[in-house]
Amino acid sequence: MGWVTQASVTVTATSPALLDRRLLMFTGKGGVGKTTVVAATAVEAARRGRRPLIVELGHRASMEGLFANRSIAYEPSQVTDGVWAMNLDFESALADYFEQHIPVKRVARTIMRNKTLQKFFQAAPSVAEVATLNKLSALEAEREGGKPRWDPILVDLDATGHALMLLNVPEVMTGLIGDGPMRRLIDGFSSLLADPRRTVLSLVTLPRELPAQETFELYQKLREHHKVALGALFINQVPERPLTPGQAGLLDRVQSRAKRANIGPLVDEVTLARRAMRYQANARAQINRLRRAITMPIVELPLITSRELDPEAIASLGRSAIEQLEDRSAEDANTSHARRMRR
Amino acid sequence: MSGIDELIQRQKLLVAIGPGGVGKTTVSAAIALRAAQLGLRTLVLTIDPAKRLADALGLTHLDDRIREVPVEDLGAEHGVEIPGTLHAAMFDNAASMDSLMARVAPDEETRDKVLRNRVYRAMAGTLSRSHAYLAMERLYEVMSSGEYDLVILDTPPARNALDILDAPSRLATFLDEGVVKWFVGQGKGKGRSGGWRARLMASSGAAATKLFQVIVGKDLADETIAFFEAFYGMREGFRERASAIQSILRAEDTSFALVSSADATHMMDAQALAQGVRSRGVDIDVVIYNRSYERLAHDAPLAIITDPGKLDRAAALERMFHGELDHLDREQIRDLLEGLRVVRTEAANANHRALEAVRKLGSDLPESALQLIIARLDGDIRDLPGLLALGPYLAETRRI
Ligand SMILES: Nc1ncnc2c1ncn2[C@@H]1O[C@H](COP(=O)(O)OP(=O)(O)OP(=O)(O)O)[C@@H](O)[C@H]1O
Ligand SMILES: Nc1ncnc2c1ncn2[C@@H]1O[C@H](COP(=O)(O)OP(=O)(O)OP(=O)(O)O)[C@@H](O)[C@H]1O
Ligand SMILES: [Mg+2]
Ligand SMILES: [Mg+2]
Repeated sequence: MGWVTQASVTVTATSPALLDRRLLMFTGKGGVGKTTVVAATAVEAARRGRRPLIVELGHRASMEGLFANRSIAYEPSQVTDGVWAMNLDFESALADYFEQHIPVKRVARTIMRNKTLQKFFQAAPSVAEVATLNKLSALEAEREGGKPRWDPILVDLDATGHALMLLNVPEVMTGLIGDGPMRRLIDGFSSLLADPRRTVLSLVTLPRELPAQETFELYQKLREHHKVALGALFINQVPERPLTPGQAGLLDRVQSRAKRANIGPLVDEVTLARRAMRYQANARAQINRLRRAITMPIVELPLITSRELDPEAIASLGRSAIEQLEDRSAEDANTSHARRMRR
Repeated sequence: MSGIDELIQRQKLLVAIGPGGVGKTTVSAAIALRAAQLGLRTLVLTIDPAKRLADALGLTHLDDRIREVPVEDLGAEHGVEIPGTLHAAMFDNAASMDSLMARVAPDEETRDKVLRNRVYRAMAGTLSRSHAYLAMERLYEVMSSGEYDLVILDTPPARNALDILDAPSRLATFLDEGVVKWFVGQGKGKGRSGGWRARLMASSGAAATKLFQVIVGKDLADETIAFFEAFYGMREGFRERASAIQSILRAEDTSFALVSSADATHMMDAQALAQGVRSRGVDIDVVIYNRSYERLAHDAPLAIITDPGKLDRAAALERMFHGELDHLDREQIRDLLEGLRVVRTEAANANHRALEAVRKLGSDLPESALQLIIARLDGDIRDLPGLLALGPYLAETRRI
């Protein structure tokens, strides 16, 4: 339960910018906006001249919906200017894996076509996760003209459970696997996942009590039990102030006058505005709690109410996110600069 | 019309499914309380309730025992009569998985073999896939007890809530079908049974095992196979339960309730769920759109207002202040009235979008499906009075 307040903030002096990492993983409770944040970040990366690849785990229509319904398959394809996307489905990942590890291709393919065997591999522990990690590290290792082909790779991890399962693979497997090719493979994943220069896990949440609480618990769990470096915390759908403080200060007066003059709709509006202010205040309180308890760079993304989340809105969310992170690192640089100056 | 009242008086089991975070647990508990109000002996089986709600339901212990929720005070303090009873329990995954194994195992040796197996331990700890099966198990028990008029089953926040329907038979067929047979009993003497089929099975089984060893390594492969072997011995127990559970889920007096919000992604998931359920031969009898609209008129909280209306703000200002304001004051008040107009318009627009979304999903549902819409209430719902406040929304049938 309890929210621990972090007394000291440790900022790693040379932590590279989010977009400079190779493998950006995003996770959070259902429906908080992971897919939106991943898409927005990728669009911004592309705008900055990079070549981002979005990796969806398991097929969902939501990513396609964000890119004019361009279909997304296992093979990466361009979904909008400079942004690539693929769907890392289990069957294809497993097929890839077999092709790599079974000497006779024909056998590998025959086996993969067998429905019963497929079921078996789905049920067997960690097979899905191993195949997934195998593909992710292959993508990370892809080079084109000496440079990484994907810059960066953004992984939309379905739910927190999914993310933890992936991160747990090396540990779960350690006890079960002796030496051999599999061992080396798992060790490879461990070092990729644990390398802060290459891999970071970012969290997405909403400024509401329950998601915020769960995010905090997840954060603690990650810090205590996992070696993965943490990226940014995206607080999504932050509501705007419904009224300015000046306007709010006059509410009481208008409310009593409206009652006296018997203007029902206006009385209702005051009630409505008060309620909206409570939502907003509560959101603010949750954000403050998160800021106090979590020492990750925090990005606040506005709740967009007026329109659909069209490409423009997505692009502006991404731009705002990355700019907020840059402001923050500029601040950090300034403070460490100031500290140096003082010495 | 009476909203959900008629349905819960008629049915014995209500299964609440829906996307994550929409309020399945809250709504399940609120329906249970409503049922108790209608005089029913009610049990809500919840999964992972928010801490405060768990406290309110008396589920502060981490076990999965059924507890009676004291509702007398609620009746006294809020002027409602609660002639029925409310019981609640929650699931504990790992513990119930172990006890399930113990129940289904034909003998102690098999049970111990499974429980000690490292693959089983790894699976029981990390695989959420077993959750649905466990829920079904628990359900089987309480439904057979005959102690409740109505059981409400909350489900995990899964887009694969369909597991509820699939899990029981999947596990049984999994054990039954070739797959486990391929892996079990190898090397225990060849040609035990004759025929080309058996021989083929044996040889492809051996190939499968080898393949598996190549992929995951010999140790893990051996242990997995040992696990399946032990598991295989339980198939009779699993099969019986699976068919009993399947018939409960498809019984006349079982209803599925789809809980969603009117939010776009939730609706997409909800639609997929509704289709999935139907393709399994089960109908959604009620859809509950939770937290789906903003109350615009305080004397009519059940009204879903989508028209911001036209209020002559200049006239309102005159009526309220009769020209007693100085210039500055007047400008500020006018500014506030404009701010209020924006607040109202945005809320009405959001309600409009919500209703559109609801109609769209509704057109995919059977005619007879009941559609209930619950407003966004102030703050979280964390106690019995909070659950009680959902009652009027549940008891209201809407024309949409
Ligand atoms: N900043 C925002 N303002 C308004 N709406 C938003 C915002 N971010 C996301 N949404 C909307 O919220 C819904 C959920 O977003 P999204 O699909 O990105 O979440 P998710 O975490 O990926 O969900 P899931 O767990 O189902 O994969 C979508 O309808 C999306 O359009
Ligand atoms: N009508 C409502 N108005 C306001 N808040 C609500 C309403 N319904 C539910 N809530 C709040 O929404 C949050 C999520 O509810 P709940 O835990 O029931 O969702 P759930 O669907 O069971 O979530 P999960 O998928 O994580 O199990 C809770 O904090 C609850 O108090
Ligand atoms: Mg998503
Ligand atoms: Mg729940």
